[in-house]
Amino acid sequence: MSEKTTLEHFSYDNKIVRDFGIATTIWGIVGMLVGLLAALQLIWPDFNITQYFTFGRIRPLHTNAVIFAFVGNGIFMGVYYSLQRLLKARMWSDLLSKVHFWGWQAIILAAAITLPLGYTSSAEYAELEWPIDLGIALIWIVFGLNMFGTIFKRREQHLYVAIWFYIGTWVTVTLLHVIKNLEIPVHMWNSIPVFAGVQDALIQWWYGHNAVAFFLTTPYLGLMYYFLPKAANRPVYSYRLSIVHFWALIFIYIWAGPHHLLYTSLPDWAQSLGTVFSIMLIAPSWGGMLNGLLTLRGAWDKVRQDPILKFMVVAITAYGMATLEGPLLSIKSINAISHYTDWTVAHVHVGTLGWNGMLTFGILYWLWPKLYGTKLFSTRLANTHFWMSTLGTIFYTVPLYWAGWTQSMMWKQFTADGFLAYGNFLETVTQIIPMYGLRSLGGAIYVLGVFLMAYNLIKTARQGSLIRDTKASAAPLQDIPMTDGVSWHRWIERRPIQMLVASALVVLIGGIVEIFPMLVIDKNVPTIASVQPYTPLELEGRDLYIREGCVSCHSQMIRPFRSETERYGEFSKSGEFVYDRPFLWGSKRTGPDLHRIGNKYPHSWHYNHMLDPESMSPGSIMPSYEWMIDQDLDTEYTFAKIKVLKYLNTPYEFTADEQVQKAINAQARRIAKELNEQGIEQENLEDKEIVALIAYLQRMGTDIQADGVVNNN
Amino acid sequence: MYKYILEKLGDFDWMALFALLTFFFVFTLSAYLIFIKDKSEVARLSNLPLDDCEDLLPQ
Repeated sequence: MSEKTTLEHFSYDNKIVRDFGIATTIWGIVGMLVGLLAALQLIWPDFNITQYFTFGRIRPLHTNAVIFAFVGNGIFMGVYYSLQRLLKARMWSDLLSKVHFWGWQAIILAAAITLPLGYTSSAEYAELEWPIDLGIALIWIVFGLNMFGTIFKRREQHLYVAIWFYIGTWVTVTLLHVIKNLEIPVHMWNSIPVFAGVQDALIQWWYGHNAVAFFLTTPYLGLMYYFLPKAANRPVYSYRLSIVHFWALIFIYIWAGPHHLLYTSLPDWAQSLGTVFSIMLIAPSWGGMLNGLLTLRGAWDKVRQDPILKFMVVAITAYGMATLEGPLLSIKSINAISHYTDWTVAHVHVGTLGWNGMLTFGILYWLWPKLYGTKLFSTRLANTHFWMSTLGTIFYTVPLYWAGWTQSMMWKQFTADGFLAYGNFLETVTQIIPMYGLRSLGGAIYVLGVFLMAYNLIKTARQGSLIRDTKASAAPLQDIPMTDGVSWHRWIERRPIQMLVASALVVLIGGIVEIFPMLVIDKNVPTIASVQPYTPLELEGRDLYIREGCVSCHSQMIRPFRSETERYGEFSKSGEFVYDRPFLWGSKRTGPDLHRIGNKYPHSWHYNHMLDPESMSPGSIMPSYEWMIDQDLDTEYTFAKIKVLKYLNTPYEFTADEQVQKAINAQARRIAKELNEQGIEQENLEDKEIVALIAYLQRMGTDIQADGVVNNN
Repeated sequence: MYKYILEKLGDFDWMALFALLTFFFVFTLSAYLIFIKDKSEVARLSNLPLDDCEDLLPQ
């Protein structure tokens, strides 16, 4: 160190932090209200208002809004505040900050418009169509440029551990977003994924799980490592532990995705890897949780008084609970019970409501008085909000744990004579409706608390005035030569690009070992000779199934359990999905599995069921899809879809649009005629969407039945 | 019994083993390197969030 250096004067950009703070609050309220609406729809189907706001369409709207809008803006708020201060430098470019802010809000708006319109890729947490995916990539690069630009002009030699988490997040999300969204556009709002069936499933859950890991967890851990010491006014308990936490977490997390696919058609070795690494995750996760909680050693008296610390303590505890529960749910015998039930939904909400929500609220309450140079308007209101959030989370999750367990037990229950005790799936749904009611109450309490916070923040802002820039002074960065005695880690801590490369390598190891063999080794997906591509009409029916978000409530994956094969039929084989782009295995059974629905009921049953589900299944909570009866099927892009599928090696013989249209008309007329014979009278029935949907439903899972093969070819 | 264990020895999944060994190697190495770090330097680093160089600390 040189003895004397001149101080440089600069300022921190607070306005961008404030803007992201406002965005996270507004989108939080919007996303949670949409979630509340979805919860109410599961109790009263009448809340499915018009075709644009059915459960299937707004469920992804809810998840995208809370993940990418609420948590996303929360991440950027915290990163923009802490990064500048930890690096002792203003953000590299105010312009890039603004482009980042407005670009991200535009993406959210595009999602909020396109998802209710039914433009979806159906991949969970990656539902947005390709033009929006490109927009996300662009804005993410803007964020990265701004972050690394700031890192390069920093005045602090060492990168604090929070910044490693930000770098790890940026590089991994880039990787996940690009690989998950490898798709070929058909038209502006439709695309076909490059991977099919079991490979698409593996890529999806490699992405889906790591969206949780690297969007909901690692950036928030970075925020925890900065804002918790700030709020408690004491350094983190163990900086060494935080380093182990970082490297172990990013290394292990990337492997855990296959635990979403236990007992499915995914090869056993991939499932085992998912389980092993998920259980190993307990160690770094709990190391991080303990590091957070122990930071408050000797300050627990403050926790009793200060709502900010209360929020943070409960958030970190929720992180610990969710990261213990996650590995337990990855054990095959537990997963056999929990999977497809509301247990998973409860688990996710411990993380989102508890960890992400409460940490965001704690940070907002800490930041707002700093940004406006005043005191929090009402500590009492903040305390009330804290209890509403805590009670809301409990009322949300506990009934769903109960519901998940109850329903799973009912699915698996056999009578003494060896028959399913609850052969009618609907019985297992109506049983848990009261729990859905309590869950909605919990959600309502939680979102009311957020309204309270918004009021408190508005009043706080009004009693102060925004400090757009905070002045600061620091010595310029000096190039300290590395000596032989300097450790490897101190070396890398000073080098952001090397840190980026090291993080990328660490996460790539897991991705490559798991995914690469799946893509190149044929024996992983045994083919079945009788499995054929969908007919053009079935293909359109499948796209309607995707548009309506049927996958939100219905799986297409029968696990090899007696309770499932008795209820649904032959268990699902990986070779049956080789032409499924995208795969539609689903992850939740609010309704029954549909993989063997083909040929199970007459066409008229499906027609009536889609028109009025209760007419076929009294007490059903499925909404009516009456518009599919009236709307004409759009076949303008069918041939374009087939061309893309042919390019991806689907063995179609169609070479012209006329051939495709002819095939569509022939199959539609046949189904319409059969519907007529079954008593359904409707003018121009063969042109309607319902006919395409019926074609698809009747095809599902029939390829491995000998008669199914004959029927469809 | 050992006869069966030996018979099954060739069936181990090299990917699972590779994963476990890689993790063990990375984890042990990073833990070792971290715990030999200089104590005073670690203390300085852990105090970075509390030293943000702000000229004006608003209340």
